[in-house]
Amino acid sequence: MVEVLQQIINGIAIGGVYVLIALGLTTVFGILGIAHFAHGSVSMFGGYLTFFFVTSWGIPLLLAILIALLVGLVLGVLIELLAYRPVRDANHINAFIVALGLTMMVEGINLELFGHEQVVIPTDFSRVFNIGGVTIPELRLYVILAAALLIAAMTVFVERTKTGQAIRAVAENRDAAILMGVNVKTIPLVVFAISTALGVCAGVMVGSLFAIAPGIGEGLVVKGFAVLILGGLGSIPGAVVGGLVLGITEALAAGFISSAYKDVIAFVVMISVLLFRPQGLMGKA
Amino acid sequence: MARNRTFILYWLALVGFVLLPQLISVKYYIHLCVLALIWVIAAQGQNLIQGYTGYVSIVQAGFMGIGAYSTALMGMHFDLPVWLTIILAPFVTAFFALLTGYPSLRVKGHYFAIVTLAFNMVIFIVLMNFHDLTQGEAGITGIPKPGGKDALFNWRDRETYYYFVLIIAALMTGLAALIVRSRIGQILVAIRQNEDLVGAVGIAAWKYKLFAFVTSAMFAGLAGAIYAHYQSFINPEIFGIAQSLDAILAVIIGGSGTIAGPIIGAFFVVFLPEYLRFADSFRLILYGLVLVLATIFMPRGIAGIARDLMEKRRGRT
Repeated sequence: MVEVLQQIINGIAIGGVYVLIALGLTTVFGILGIAHFAHGSVSMFGGYLTFFFVTSWGIPLLLAILIALLVGLVLGVLIELLAYRPVRDANHINAFIVALGLTMMVEGINLELFGHEQVVIPTDFSRVFNIGGVTIPELRLYVILAAALLIAAMTVFVERTKTGQAIRAVAENRDAAILMGVNVKTIPLVVFAISTALGVCAGVMVGSLFAIAPGIGEGLVVKGFAVLILGGLGSIPGAVVGGLVLGITEALAAGFISSAYKDVIAFVVMISVLLFRPQGLMGKA
Repeated sequence: MARNRTFILYWLALVGFVLLPQLISVKYYIHLCVLALIWVIAAQGQNLIQGYTGYVSIVQAGFMGIGAYSTALMGMHFDLPVWLTIILAPFVTAFFALLTGYPSLRVKGHYFAIVTLAFNMVIFIVLMNFHDLTQGEAGITGIPKPGGKDALFNWRDRETYYYFVLIIAALMTGLAALIVRSRIGQILVAIRQNEDLVGAVGIAAWKYKLFAFVTSAMFAGLAGAIYAHYQSFINPEIFGIAQSLDAILAVIIGGSGTIAGPIIGAFFVVFLPEYLRFADSFRLILYGLVLVLATIFMPRGIAGIARDLMEKRRGRT
C-alpha cells in the first residue's frame, strides 16, 4: 500500500508538469485552432536557458527562471507573428505542418546552443520528507505546489479577468467577439505569451526533477496532447484530470510493470479512452 | 487533351528513370536513387491520407518499420522465401493500422495526428526494448536479398535492385492513381473539403478514412520490407518520428493531393540532406525552415507550381 502511495505521489509530480504543458496547448488550440506542436521544444528551450544562466553565469535560480520566462514570452510572440499568422486563413493542415517545421527548428537551435548532452538544473532542495513510510523529496513537493499555484492562477485569469473573458469569447465565437470590440489581433499574442510562459515553467520543472535532453520536448508535447485527448478539449478541469490520470498511470506502470514500457501503457490508456469516450473524460458529449 | 499531355509526361518520366542508372557513373548516387524510389512508395501512401483525405498521419516511418521487421522476422523464423515475406509484410502492417486507425479516426484533425504520432513512439519503444524479437538497438543483420543462389539476376548488384524497386514504385504509383480516380478517391477528397457534408449525404466517412489510413500503411509496409532486403540490415533508428516527418515533408514539398508530388518530394527528402551536409548540425534548423517557408509560400508544392505555370503558358498561346 505504501508502495502504491509512493508511486501516486511521483505520478502527481509528473502529472503536474503534464497539466502545465496541456494548459498551454489547450488555450492556443481554443483561440487559433492550431496544434502548437513546437510547444514542447520551446518549453525545453526555457529549461535549457535556466540551466545555462544558473551554471554558466551563476545567476540565482529564481532570477534565472524569471529571465527564461521573459525570453520565452518574446519567443512565443515571435512564433505567433512570424510563423502562425501567415497561415491563419489557410487550411488547418498547413498550420500543423508549420508547427512541425518549427519543432525541427527549435530542436535544432537547442542542439546548436546547448549540445546533445543531457543536463540537470541544479537546485539546493535536497531534503527528503518521510510521512508514514512515503518519502517525498523536497524538490518534488515544491514542483507539485508550484504547479498547483500556476494552475489556480491560470484558472483565475481565464475566468475572472477582462482579458481572460476576451480569450474565452474568441474561442467561443470569433466573429461575435470582433463585434463586441475584442481585438482579435492581440489576443493570440497574449495567448502565446501565457502558454509559452507556462511551458517554460514546465521545462524548468522537468529540468530540475529529471533531465533535459534532445527529444524530451517532443515526447512532452505528445504527452500534453494525450492529456487533452484524455481530459476533453478546451476545458481546464479536463486538462487537470487528464494530466493527473496520465501521470499516475505512468508512475504506477513504471513502478509495478515495466519502466521501459510506461509510455506504451500510457498510449493504451489513451486509446481505450478514445474508444469509450471520444469526447474525453470531462468533455461534453 | 490535358489528360493526354500528363499521360505523356508520366511516360517520359518513366523512360528517364529507366535510363537513369546508365547516366549516373557514381555508385553512391544509384544507392540514393534506390532509397528515393523506396521513399516514393511510402510517400504515395502518405499522400493518400494526408494529401487527399486531409488527415496528417505521423506514423509512416513506424509502419515502414513494422513492414521491415515483419519481413525479416518471418524469413528468419518461418523460413519463408523472400518474395513471399515481402508480399506478406504489408498485410501485417495493415493489421496494426486497423488496430490503431479505428479508435484514432474517431477524433478529428489534429488529434488524429497526435494519436498516430504517439503510435510511432510506441512502435519505436517496442522495437528498441523487445530484445528477444527485435534484438533492440543493435538491429537485425544478414537479411537475405531476393533470389536464391542460382537466381536469374544478380541481386547484389545495385543496378538490378534499382530496376526492381523502380518497377514496384511505378506499380504503386499507378495503384495510387487508380484509387484517386475511383469513386473512393472522390469521396476522400470530399472528406478533405467538407467532412460534415459527406456525412450529410449519407456516406459513412469513417469507413473511407479507415480505408485511406490502412492503405497508406500498406504502402509504407511494402516500402519498409523492400528497404530491409535492400540494406540487409535494419535497426529502430530509421523508423522514428523524424523519418515520419520526412514523409510529410515529401508530400508537402512535392505537392500534396497530386500523383507527381510524392515522386518529386521523395527525391527531395533523400537528396536535400545530402546537399545540406555542409551545414552539419544546422541541418535540422535549415530543414525546419524549408518546411515552414514551403508551407507558407508554396502550399501547393512543386507539382502545384508546375501545373500553374503550364496552365499560364497554355492560356497565353
